[in-house]
Amino acid sequence: MAGLELLSDQGYRLDGRKAVELRKIQARMGVFAQADGSAYIEQGNTKALAVVYGPHEIRGSRSKALHDRAVVNCQYSMATFSTGERKRRPHGDRKSSEMTLHLKQTFEAAILTQLYPRSQIDIYVQILQADGGNYCACVNAATLAIMDAGIPMRDYVCACSTGFIEDTPLVDLCYVEEAAGGPQLALALLPKSEQIALLEMNSRLHEDHLEKVLDAASKACRDVYAVLDRVVRDHVQEVCTLLGE
Amino acid sequence: MREPPLSNCEKSFLLKAIREGKRLDGRETYDYRNIKISFGTDYGCCIVELGRTRVLGQVSCELVPPKVNRPTEGIIFFNLELSPMASPAFELGRQSELLIKLNRLLERCLRNSKCIDTESLCVVAGEKVWQVRVDLHLLNHEGNIIDAASIAAIVALSHFRRHDVSIQGDEVTVYTPEEREPVPLSIHHMPICVSFAFFQQGTYLLVDPSDREERVLDGMLVIAMNKHREICTIQSSGGIMLLKEQVLRCSKIAGVKVTEITELIQKALENDKKIRKEGGKCGFVESMPQQWITAFKVEKAPVDVTDVEEKAEGILSRAEPPAEAVSKPVLWATGTAQIGEGLESSWRDMEEEEGQVEDEDDEGAIDDPTLAVTQNIEMEDISGKEEKKSDVDVVVLSDSEEEEVIILEPEESRIHTRSKHPADSSATKTTAGKKKRKKKFAL
Amino acid sequence: MAWVRLSEAEKVYIAHGVQEDLRQDGRSCEDYRCIEVETDVVSNTSGSARVKLGHTDILVGIKAEMGTPKLERPHEGCVEFFVDCSANAAPEFEGRGGEELGTEIANTLYRMFNNESSLDLKALCISQAEHCWILYVDVLLLECGGNLFDAISIGVKAALFNTRIPKVRILEDEEGSKEIELSDDPYDCIRLNVENVPCIITLSKIGHRHVVDATLQEEACTLASLLVSVTSKGLLTGMKKVGKGSLDPESIFEMIETGKRVGKAVHVSLQEILNKEESLGKQRQKVGFLG
Repeated sequence: MAGLELLSDQGYRLDGRKAVELRKIQARMGVFAQADGSAYIEQGNTKALAVVYGPHEIRGSRSKALHDRAVVNCQYSMATFSTGERKRRPHGDRKSSEMTLHLKQTFEAAILTQLYPRSQIDIYVQILQADGGNYCACVNAATLAIMDAGIPMRDYVCACSTGFIEDTPLVDLCYVEEAAGGPQLALALLPKSEQIALLEMNSRLHEDHLEKVLDAASKACRDVYAVLDRVVRDHVQEVCTLLGE
Repeated sequence: MREPPLSNCEKSFLLKAIREGKRLDGRETYDYRNIKISFGTDYGCCIVELGRTRVLGQVSCELVPPKVNRPTEGIIFFNLELSPMASPAFELGRQSELLIKLNRLLERCLRNSKCIDTESLCVVAGEKVWQVRVDLHLLNHEGNIIDAASIAAIVALSHFRRHDVSIQGDEVTVYTPEEREPVPLSIHHMPICVSFAFFQQGTYLLVDPSDREERVLDGMLVIAMNKHREICTIQSSGGIMLLKEQVLRCSKIAGVKVTEITELIQKALENDKKIRKEGGKCGFVESMPQQWITAFKVEKAPVDVTDVEEKAEGILSRAEPPAEAVSKPVLWATGTAQIGEGLESSWRDMEEEEGQVEDEDDEGAIDDPTLAVTQNIEMEDISGKEEKKSDVDVVVLSDSEEEEVIILEPEESRIHTRSKHPADSSATKTTAGKKKRKKKFAL
Repeated sequence: MAWVRLSEAEKVYIAHGVQEDLRQDGRSCEDYRCIEVETDVVSNTSGSARVKLGHTDILVGIKAEMGTPKLERPHEGCVEFFVDCSANAAPEFEGRGGEELGTEIANTLYRMFNNESSLDLKALCISQAEHCWILYVDVLLLECGGNLFDAISIGVKAALFNTRIPKVRILEDEEGSKEIELSDDPYDCIRLNVENVPCIITLSKIGHRHVVDATLQEEACTLASLLVSVTSKGLLTGMKKVGKGSLDPESIFEMIETGKRVGKAVHVSLQEILNKEESLGKQRQKVGFLG
């Protein structure tokens, strides 16, 4: 992509953001009435929807039940019209399966599964529009949905993607920046304890820069946490007012 | 077939050893097992042995039309197969989570890091490009598949030679190896995966976990680096929480390891090149010394055995001598005799709910020989102690589908018969005549 | 939950209510629940719409791609339907569980649109037998609260109304090879004529009467339903009976009449709303799921 500068000389990116700025995040909890918990998040142009069912009895084979914890079951799927080119299969291909595994791993670590032995918690995430940072939007949406469902967690799980161009870490990549092929790091963090739930990196990055990128990513996750916290508090206030308490 | 689960005492043994900084095969925490690389007769075929884990890598190529959105680039395709040969737990044809995880990790490590120059694979832009296919087969699973697979993939790719191609105008000629020397692929760098296993919520760290260690780990971190200390991929898995310092430390260790392994790979490749140039025999058959006495030699595991004897003697001296187990046979009738007394029937006690007495867990079993209690007074103490432990419920030993799991404990009758192995984990208790307790049985 | 379990007493309660033209939420037998429609919710598509009918939530996205026309219809474009029952709607739809329902709905849509007048496919043709527009209509089922077919057909109509396909020019080279030029101007596009696009009305038979727009509970009491596809002029393009029970021919005739009546009313209000939304133009605040 000759001529497309991901970072201009003045420090502005393609969409006018600075290197450490996040895209605009708008979120809403309680979108669907029938599910136990649901949330919708828009990070720039990426739109993700998460729905949580549970905890409920294990569906299917009883042998999957764990005697001391709940089973966390995830599915990640992208709508066929979400990407620029139409996707043939919404889920079931390798990349979606990998994302599903990552989501499952992230939330198994964060949810207090010991409180619900022999039960199952379903987390279904749908991408309605993909413009970079798919995994991160999913994690943020799922965090809100789990909170909406009232399932206890250790902490918020906030995720953000980071890239690295010309010695500067770029935070919250959009699709064009991701497709440019530079190194990308996706980080899912529990903000209060600074524990990393999932760390995933692609493409080449020199070891010396790793610390810088990790720092930038952690800071970005904390910023995301601030936004999500605001959303949750507003929602709770709204619900309480409607309930008349 | 499901693989047999690891027993509790093995698990605790492994964890305890790791806490003391010891590993089963005597390695240090940051040591790799021995890596052995052997090549086949064809170019692009190699077997990598990491300890006992074996991966076979084979590279092949063919001319195909390129992808529509990338007309000037070749195609590289990776495929890792977990063959049932490797472990009875792998079944043919079923896409398990592990397979997807490994395949995606390999793809990201080798393809996204652009270790192979795909533009050089282009023959006629938009019409014909080389499609390079790397097939990896796991032959034996003894832990740490991903490291061995990544080494096998990169070695096979470095070893591979593709047919030479020449273009005159519109005509494309592909030369066979007899006509012209085959051409190696252009490889920018060699990314190698290094796996780190975390135990006890991230307190202990091991490099290159073996099969047993993999089963007790909490989480894993895989870092793929090349010798220029560029990180190609990082992937954390398992449900553990990491801290930034841990990740940075791991990346430093990975840097050191990758340099060593890359040297090894270069040496192996040069060796093979030398042998082929001199016209010597090469191939798998050659790399397996058949007729020598040392063909089936197993290397000694470097376990520290300096004071084993004193320790063993110490344990034995502290233990009580085995009780008189043999009693006189009692003759009931001709042809029917009884030796010793059988265990008291405890079936009728299964319905009793109160006063659960639990079999002592294996935790402390290694240290204390037994809690051989012979007197009623002491028995009360024990049952008191165990009643506190009865908050912890049944210990599941297997993924059986049964609802109730019961733990068998060998009862000690009035003649206290001890189990044969002094270091056994079962605690023995006497049965008081009238006192009823609920016993739990395990299968 | 794609279906709910009802006890016999609840079923009897609903059936008796319907007898008296009283439904659980106070509607009459021919009333629809409040329908919310919003177009242009997904920007990656050529046209999109979101329909919320009670607890049923549908998202329709249309992508127009260039392709070759079918051999037997060289002067027409084509329309492809794909329905994805996502796991969001019901945990049973996880993995491949929703495929059956999805293919059933997609086949019904194919049949309803499989006639000359519904969609002007000739407008989608670029050059005969070589290039044409293929419209991929993708329906995403987000929440299932009964009456899927109606909501989906309303969504499809709204999305088709919203679709903007860029105009195409064919340039002839000297050697005779054709080049296709897409106009870059976002306002230079063709719109589809959705006057004759049908809407599906589901009439569910409960007891001796039939109701329109059944909720999940009412669907559980239904023995048989009739899907009627009606255009805005009241013409029937397709009909399908679903369900395990049987229908009397007389009741079928009554149901068709009701369907036509209700269908015409739905078309009128839908068109009104779509026109109103269109007239808001740029000032329209896009709400999407955030509202």
